[in-house]
Amino acid sequence: MPQYILRISLEHKSFRIPSLLSISQVFNFPIRFISKDKYRGILIVELEKEEDVHHILERDTLVLSASELYAEGKTYSELHDQMRGNLRVLAPYEYASFKFTLEGANHRVVESRTTETVESFAYTDLKGKIQMKDPEVEFVIYEDYDFEIAHTSEARYKRDGKFQHVYFGRRVGFGKGRLLPTKHDVKARAYYGNTSMDSHMGFLMAGQALPAPGKIVYDPFVGTGSMLYASAHWGAYVMGSDIDGRQIRGKSKGKEVKPGILRAAAQYGTEDLFLDCLTYDVTKSPIRRGGWVDAIITDPPYGVRAGAKRLGRKEGGKPLRDEPYMFPDGRYSHQLPGYLPPSRPYELANLTLDLVQLARWLLVPGGRLVFFLPTVNEDYQEVDVPVVEGMKELKVDEGSVQDFGKWGRRLITMEKTAQDDGPPPTFEDHEEFDLRNQPEHLPGHHGFRERYATGFSSRKKSENPSPANTPPSLEPVVSVTPGSKVQYQHI
Amino acid sequence: MYIVNVENCTKDNFPLSFSEVELVIRPAPENLEFIQRFLPKLDWSALVDTARSLGDESLPEQMPDQWTDDQLKALHHVLMELHVEEGNMTCRGCGHVYPISNGIPNMLLAEHEVGR
Repeated sequence: MPQYILRISLEHKSFRIPSLLSISQVFNFPIRFISKDKYRGILIVELEKEEDVHHILERDTLVLSASELYAEGKTYSELHDQMRGNLRVLAPYEYASFKFTLEGANHRVVESRTTETVESFAYTDLKGKIQMKDPEVEFVIYEDYDFEIAHTSEARYKRDGKFQHVYFGRRVGFGKGRLLPTKHDVKARAYYGNTSMDSHMGFLMAGQALPAPGKIVYDPFVGTGSMLYASAHWGAYVMGSDIDGRQIRGKSKGKEVKPGILRAAAQYGTEDLFLDCLTYDVTKSPIRRGGWVDAIITDPPYGVRAGAKRLGRKEGGKPLRDEPYMFPDGRYSHQLPGYLPPSRPYELANLTLDLVQLARWLLVPGGRLVFFLPTVNEDYQEVDVPVVEGMKELKVDEGSVQDFGKWGRRLITMEKTAQDDGPPPTFEDHEEFDLRNQPEHLPGHHGFRERYATGFSSRKKSENPSPANTPPSLEPVVSVTPGSKVQYQHI
Repeated sequence: MYIVNVENCTKDNFPLSFSEVELVIRPAPENLEFIQRFLPKLDWSALVDTARSLGDESLPEQMPDQWTDDQLKALHHVLMELHVEEGNMTCRGCGHVYPISNGIPNMLLAEHEVGR
């Protein structure tokens, strides 16, 4: 099977393999990763046909260009040896107009070396016309360098030619998906808010949801809709809900005003794919039945810019009213325009588990749940991703993480493996996260808002350690220092 | 408007009834395959009643066993092109009025309904 050279961006490294796998799933083609190190600037993949490369170039936001691989080597002489034995691949291009390009990954190749390098391919004996502009075929030499900071031109000259690997192939095309994040740039969007997701991340997330025409993608914390634009771009029907309708609508009021989310959708030409945006609390939702959503994609509010809310009243505050309140003039408060029911904070650990349970019910079999889980890096453990029967996490290596130092956010992709809908979730507070029950382990995202605000002071060092930090299975180690009292120490 | 899947009330009184509506028809590209896939998820009589209350008589009383393209197109029109921009949806059970403005229904429960 043919192998292809993907020249791939070095940003968002942990998202690249999931992204390629998702594209292969949408278009139903096999893909095999040949490169030993999958995280360099050049990635070699094996595909059945060239059409699959075009799907990748069309969709993937990280791939810069793709070429069919003809020969490779640690040095040019290795590469030429291999190429001499493989000259038949050039037969279809013998008389085509052509050009050669020399590219470096992690390094800008010194121009003066280009001519001699290209001339070293003279044995290929191509008879076509050399044409720098719009040739019929373009051959590419890729030199793959280690990452190294080389700010000065001396440093650049010094490391020129000291690559790890060199590849030779024929250009299939350039990444078109690569341009999408700029096209959807938040700053140029007709409507956005302070919680809008960076457009590139929006595309990476949407890709995981396998959007395609005729599918339904739903965001239960839609906010200003950033998760939906990318899904709609790939042709999926989208819908969203939020407890705060002001985010959907935007500032402008009046009957003729188009809601903000639809204004942005119109800008991207996908307004007719926006089924509906509704105001409701997802824990008290009007959804009548499960098993009809193809993907749930959301960036749950974790309290840094906006806190998650659900209907109800805070514990320790006023009790929840069970009868409607009537004003002295005989009107009920809840029937007046502008009535806002009271809300209480929605703790992130509870929210996350609810979200997975909601997906278990709402998704079609094989449907996907894609969401960001913020977490304090120090406390993260594998068990932090909620485990729900019928939902399976899809993960490559360590998973997709955007690392911000003390905290990071992981992109979680789950697939519904269950075939039935099952019962709808109850959205009760989960007892395992209630501090009063002294849980053995709290997820790294529990109480995220408070911990963000306090600069992520360690749970272990804090003055009032939460019971969760005491390793339950370990006996305290007793260390005795001569002349002192017995001290307990946890390891 | 995605009537059937969002209409509900905590007390299983379904569907909600519309009143004081302002309708807008926004043409949407047809995807009859999608509509067909959705059929098993629909509560047909509720959908027909709701469509009729909005003045659209195009749907047959009984859900057809064999769909013609015209019938699917009519269904596409009701589900995908008929939008309620302004109006109210009222629960037949508890009387709660859910207002719709700019095409966005507000389906938040009132405080006294949350605990139930």
